[in-house]
Amino acid sequence: MDKLAICVFFVAALSAACAEFCQKPEVTASAYVTEDATVLTTIAFTTQFTLKCSNGAKGISLYAEVEGRTLPAVRLSADNKYQVSWTEDIKKARSGDYSVKLYDEESYAAIRKAQRNGEDPSNVKPLAVVVLNNPGAYLGPWVNSELLAAVLAALVSYTAFSAKSKLLA
Amino acid sequence: MNYHFLLAAVAALLVSTCADDEYEAARLLVSKQILNKYLVENMDIVVKYTVYNIGNAAALEVEITDNSFHPDNFAHVSGELNARIDRVPPYTNVSHVVVVRPRKFGYFNFTAAEVLYRHKEDAPRLQVAVSSEPGEGLVVSFRDYDKKFSSHVIDWAAFAVMTLPSLAIPFALWYSSKRKYEKLSKNSKKH
Amino acid sequence: MSGKSKAFTKEEELLLQDFSRNVSTKSSALFYGNAFIVSAIPIWLFWRIHLIDLYSSLISFVLVTVASTYLVALAYKNTKFVLKHKIAVKREDAVTREMTRKLAEDKKMSKKEKDERILWKKNEVADYEATTFAIFYNNAVFLALVILSSFYILKTFTPAVNYILSVGTASALLALLSTGSQ
Repeated sequence: MDKLAICVFFVAALSAACAEFCQKPEVTASAYVTEDATVLTTIAFTTQFTLKCSNGAKGISLYAEVEGRTLPAVRLSADNKYQVSWTEDIKKARSGDYSVKLYDEESYAAIRKAQRNGEDPSNVKPLAVVVLNNPGAYLGPWVNSELLAAVLAALVSYTAFSAKSKLLA
Repeated sequence: MNYHFLLAAVAALLVSTCADDEYEAARLLVSKQILNKYLVENMDIVVKYTVYNIGNAAALEVEITDNSFHPDNFAHVSGELNARIDRVPPYTNVSHVVVVRPRKFGYFNFTAAEVLYRHKEDAPRLQVAVSSEPGEGLVVSFRDYDKKFSSHVIDWAAFAVMTLPSLAIPFALWYSSKRKYEKLSKNSKKH
Repeated sequence: MSGKSKAFTKEEELLLQDFSRNVSTKSSALFYGNAFIVSAIPIWLFWRIHLIDLYSSLISFVLVTVASTYLVALAYKNTKFVLKHKIAVKREDAVTREMTRKLAEDKKMSKKEKDERILWKKNEVADYEATTFAIFYNNAVFLALVILSSFYILKTFTPAVNYILSVGTASALLALLSTGSQ
């Protein structure tokens, strides 16, 4: 296991050394969060973005951190285009903004180190932040209209009944 | 109207072949899941690809390609059907989500996605793996879905409008007469 | 009040009864018209919400609506008959007071004629209130029964069967209840 860990570190260090450093990162992102939960079992969060570096760096491995979990950014067919996507249970997914913090290999390693040492990982500055908004899933109509109709009908006939018994009294 | 394949996919994982077990090498299991209760024309279908690395080394240059969602049949809402993950560390998983919308209704066979990867750093050739197959599903027309699952608020409102006169008019006529004469008899008692 | 008002004269009794059981053509038309409207309305629910097939159910629509119209109208009549006496008793004082005040100025009118006018007015008020209330009461109960049975009790049946059973039983139950409570 130790050997493996060393090996992993070596590979990580190697790839970090090889990868270019992105200067003045600029991110243009588009996002989509599924809204109609009447047909879905989970809510899908997806965002695609293009990373632009002033020094023209390409092929950088990116990692994302959302709500305390880390996931690698997936590379898409176009150059410097990435996707970060995850799913969440309909009941657990809160509505509102989700900020996706993007890190490169180096800062990601720093975060992992901070997490291991029990330090605050928020000290590490992300490369860029993409914000996804979950407006809240639509779970179908609020009130069952059948039930509402039945209750109203029952109310009306109750008044009719009570009025009748008053008349017959 | 039941589609049972939502969570059934994980069980049907296909193991990619790995020639040599003695070396340190990555082994990937890839699942393709449809996270829908119902498949409806022009409504979101969430497709989730999950790559599990059960080998003892990192998989590199993992590339997922899914050609089963032809643009003629599906509108691509978000996420790309061709994705590359630089590195999947051992004993971890990485997922990728794509949202599509079917353009037509009827039966559709959801087939497997293809995965290419390098099972170790110096692998001479790429490994090929196939994801699990979600299988066949029925895409319901939006009209049918709406009919069955809408709350019919407008229909009920129209029903209320129709029934209102037959209830309100006789009630109002009766009530006004009742009030008139009850008032009269009350006044007479005071005198 | 009740002790005194119970004592209807024979004449009054006769007049009230005459007007209640044999419904005039005008109020009969009113009853049948109303019964038809309220019997036809559930078709909308079955068409829009239960998604019944309109063309294949055309015959059952016609038959059920006709039967239900008859039964609901019967319920109106019976309810009206039951209520009219009670209402006449309740309104007696007030109507007499209203009419005597109105007729007080007319010195020429004989006592007998005045009494007749009062009696006629009593009958008219009781008839009017009984008619309007009977329509309201039966419509409300009918619609409530149809909604309850079609959306809850008979939910699992096919729309066509559901329609025939829920509208049929609702109107039959209504007619039965109206005769039972006499």
